[in-house]
Amino acid sequence: MKHKNLWLFISLLLIASMLLASCGGGKPKTSVLRVWIQWGDNPQQLQELFDKYTAETGIKVEVTAPVEPDKILPSLTGSEPPDVLVLSGGDLVKSYYKEGLVEELTSAIQAGDIDLNDFFPASLDQCQMGDKILCLPWGTDMYALFWNKDMFEAAGLDPETPPATMEELVEFADKLTKVNADGTIEQIGFLPDQAWSHSDLYVRMFGGFWYSEDGTQLTANSQPVIDALTWQQQFYTKYGADNVLALSSGWADAYMSADYPFYTGKLAMYVDGEWMTGPNFISAFKPEASYGVAPFPPPADHPERANTAVVQGTVAVIPAGAKDKDASAKLLAWMMSPAIVAEEFCFNANLPTSKKAAEDPCFTSNPKFKEFVDLMASPNAKYIITTPISLELNEALGLVEEQVLHTGADPKPLLDALQAEFEPKLQEALK
Amino acid sequence: MAANLPTQYPNLQLHAETDEERRKRGRARKVRSFFKSLFSHTLINFIGLFFLIPFLWMLVTAFKSSEDVFHTPPRWLPYDNVRVEVNGEQLPLYNVQTESGVKQLAAVKIVEGVGTFVDPADPSQTVECEIQQGTTKIAEPIMHISFRWQNFPDAMARGSRPGVGASFWVYFKNSLIIAFFSIVGTLLSNTPVAYAFARLKFPGREILFVLILSTMMLPFQVTMIPIYLFFNDTLHWGNTFLPLIIPTFFANAYDVFLLRQFFKTIPEEMCDAARVDGASEWQIFTRIVIPLSIPVLATVTVFTFLWEWNDFTGPLLFLTSPKNFTMALGLQDFQSQRTMIWNQLMAAATVFTVPIVIAFFFAQKTFIQGIKLTGLKE
Amino acid sequence: MEELRTNRKWPWPPKLLKWKPRQRVNFRVGMLFLLPWTIGFLAFTLYPMMASFVYSFSIYHSKQPLEWVGLQNYADLLKDSLFWQSLSNTLYMVAIGVPLTLLASFFCAVLLNLKVRGQSIYRVIYFLPSIVPTVASTILWLWILNPQTGILNTLLGYIGIQGPNWMSNPAWSKPGLILLGMWGMGGTIVIYLSGLQDVPIHLLEAAELDGANWWQRLWHVTVPMVSPITLFNLITGVIWMFQYFAQAYVFRGSHSLGYPLNSTLFYSVYLYQNAFLWLKMGYASAMAWVLFIIILICTLLLLKVSERFTYYAG
Repeated sequence: MKHKNLWLFISLLLIASMLLASCGGGKPKTSVLRVWIQWGDNPQQLQELFDKYTAETGIKVEVTAPVEPDKILPSLTGSEPPDVLVLSGGDLVKSYYKEGLVEELTSAIQAGDIDLNDFFPASLDQCQMGDKILCLPWGTDMYALFWNKDMFEAAGLDPETPPATMEELVEFADKLTKVNADGTIEQIGFLPDQAWSHSDLYVRMFGGFWYSEDGTQLTANSQPVIDALTWQQQFYTKYGADNVLALSSGWADAYMSADYPFYTGKLAMYVDGEWMTGPNFISAFKPEASYGVAPFPPPADHPERANTAVVQGTVAVIPAGAKDKDASAKLLAWMMSPAIVAEEFCFNANLPTSKKAAEDPCFTSNPKFKEFVDLMASPNAKYIITTPISLELNEALGLVEEQVLHTGADPKPLLDALQAEFEPKLQEALK
Repeated sequence: MAANLPTQYPNLQLHAETDEERRKRGRARKVRSFFKSLFSHTLINFIGLFFLIPFLWMLVTAFKSSEDVFHTPPRWLPYDNVRVEVNGEQLPLYNVQTESGVKQLAAVKIVEGVGTFVDPADPSQTVECEIQQGTTKIAEPIMHISFRWQNFPDAMARGSRPGVGASFWVYFKNSLIIAFFSIVGTLLSNTPVAYAFARLKFPGREILFVLILSTMMLPFQVTMIPIYLFFNDTLHWGNTFLPLIIPTFFANAYDVFLLRQFFKTIPEEMCDAARVDGASEWQIFTRIVIPLSIPVLATVTVFTFLWEWNDFTGPLLFLTSPKNFTMALGLQDFQSQRTMIWNQLMAAATVFTVPIVIAFFFAQKTFIQGIKLTGLKE
Repeated sequence: MEELRTNRKWPWPPKLLKWKPRQRVNFRVGMLFLLPWTIGFLAFTLYPMMASFVYSFSIYHSKQPLEWVGLQNYADLLKDSLFWQSLSNTLYMVAIGVPLTLLASFFCAVLLNLKVRGQSIYRVIYFLPSIVPTVASTILWLWILNPQTGILNTLLGYIGIQGPNWMSNPAWSKPGLILLGMWGMGGTIVIYLSGLQDVPIHLLEAAELDGANWWQRLWHVTVPMVSPITLFNLITGVIWMFQYFAQAYVFRGSHSLGYPLNSTLFYSVYLYQNAFLWLKMGYASAMAWVLFIIILICTLLLLKVSERFTYYAG
């Protein structure tokens, strides 16, 4: 026929796209398990750790670390979620479960023969909703005060003595902050929200939290929350929030590099986690830094709150869309075995979540890390409270905090609005 | 006489000019044009700086050493450590204050604020001292102007997640693959469609063309979610290149418009003569129109390459594991890792930009021509 | 009688049945050539449009079945403060960024049209930044706009101005993004440049003879002659700016979307956040349709208003 070539061409075009589709779309590698880890201090070492599983079982494991928070949800809802997902914090797991994105793990625990008694009970708490277990803790994090000894010396303070109360911390910060003649800031003594918000710690120091202890009520506009925000605000407004922001712009982005202000002499004190004392951070980026670690000081009129710390776990979940739940369960069980927990978190300088792993002497050999281990045993060390609305609430809280700290806004009306908006949502979600 | 002057020439002189006046007028004009030229030159240069400086800044930063990147005030030339060879290793040289004055020593290692130094001339003796006491620096690195070419291979090999097999080389390759197949798909699918609108007379042609043009006004957000769900959940093409490539095999409004404009300029007579000879439309299309259209096809190729190379939103939606990232996604990934290694970041960004700049210099005319074709009204 | 019947132009029966065989063949051939686009249109335009329209009236959380809620999403949108914030952020860019950029590119095109030495080199310099890939240029400008270590504030400091906090001050984040956009306006400059070169010389000469100075020639001859280009650039610029996404996404670095203080939370960014971060796909679809309507209205408005101002030669 006259248009034979045309038909031929069109059909070739369609066939070409079909072929491309089939060869690009087919993924025969069902024998590769994919593990995504939200934190990624040392991706190479993580891959090497999981290569041990390959050595034992012959199943190849592909590690992706770190994972941006923005990519977590798309990966869970996409067609190719990882087989095991390790999240930086347990606070969003309940939200994910509500959306049907993660598996309930009771059967996986049985299949993998995981000993629930080996976990520190507090760490397992954040994963439990009623009698359902939504995740398993894998390493845990804790925060304390870090200070730069050289800067202390230069300001005339004893480099070995950190502030003993929150009031003293404010005094020290004053001495350690240098302002130039034109108002710009040369160095900052203490920045409360570096490298991310630590309101959970400060609110505990003021004696409360934004949830009730049993997680059934929202207390976002309670006095401790207001006090915590007001206390943080002074570090910005005292020198002019604009001036502080001019200096600290971009600091959060430099967290894993040698330009982090704590290393370059721009920030004297701040709150950070136990991993800093390990091989992946200060020792890697700025071995010349001489620094100290101590528990965050309590307010002067509440010494009973000394050694208050907020413990946040990293948790492992099995996505609901994982292809082979059995294989995921087995991998999870291997990850939870005390030997692996000890090895990974000894190296990475994180706190172990397995009682047996915690007996390993390596956890007490590093004196700075030992501060955290001791802190964990304190009666004031509390796990973060989570609910199914944590996802949205955390965002909203972050916005309020940003407004209060960076623009000097009054926290009370903002928190009142937050409370009014989210209390009904919490009640709705808990039904 | 004055009354007879046409009103639109108010500056016309009535009397004949004297030589003196002519010379003055000439000088005045020369002075005016000199200042005009000076003014326009200054302005062009000044604004040109706005375009040029960031570009140069990107290049300079790509060559800087890590210590130099945050130097205040920012320096225009890259500085790097002066290194000296000791026992087969390249060690950085420091100015160290010792009891016997300031010495130039090589740093062997630095741990927790204490440095171990050796004299390059006599490596057997080590000196240990603190790097900094309070704010006094006891040991300072010596820097000199040097271009750190090493940043480029370092950045490319590193990628955004070191040690997991996803380097910028991989991202670069992925970008190339996607760009190549997209070009193939675009050329194959848009040309017949554009030809139909340009040269084929069929009922409903004008209505369909208006329909195509109106899709240009459709924001991608309207179709984004169902397309995402379709590719991800229905076809299970998540995390592959297919969602980015396959749609290019089905024509798009912009290229159809561009090609149609061009095809319309091909003389009707040639096609008519061929029709009279009994050629089918397909034969006319492939034997006459396509060979004459090489310039515009080159334009479409260049633009498709530019568009795919640049694309960020598409890869963001569909590519989830780092091994499949494109350069654009990888660069953003690197930047969001909180490891702001600016010199390596700029080096990677430069490598990302280079293919386009090369393409531009080879195909300058094509670039400009294409932009004109899209910009000018029919 | 016969005349009456044959002269009346009935719309029915439809013309389809009255096609001559030639037309029918042409139609078939045309459709064949159009096949790639037709399939694409059905699969990637029509179907998604209908699907998202349906989603916009439902609650759809991807892994769970669709739940019809009628106009609830749209009602919620009106009450959503972030919706209004994102809309106002986007309108800021559309109302300020687009005209400013157009003005600047026209100005640059005029400059580049002057007879200066090295004209072609300048043209390359002005154009080159526009082909630097978006992600690379955004990251570069993050570096440039850093309040303390970036060169912009350093250069401003040389002339005695203390530069603002481009990235952490909500009042300055959008101007920073506009600067970024202007850096890459080379394409628009080229379009204007070719338009300038098409301005009929005889008109300019006549004006000069009439005693018009440089500014009057520009305003009364050049600007009207390139007004079709201005209109085209304006409309495409507005349509594009309503969908502004990639630069804002990269600009916030490792902070949350919209940093600082939701000043960079543009409409498209908030839509993405709803769809892919919070899984509210029905809500996001409603946002998408509202955007479509807004774009349509703006385009029609622009076309209406422009009728008074554009001049088409011949």
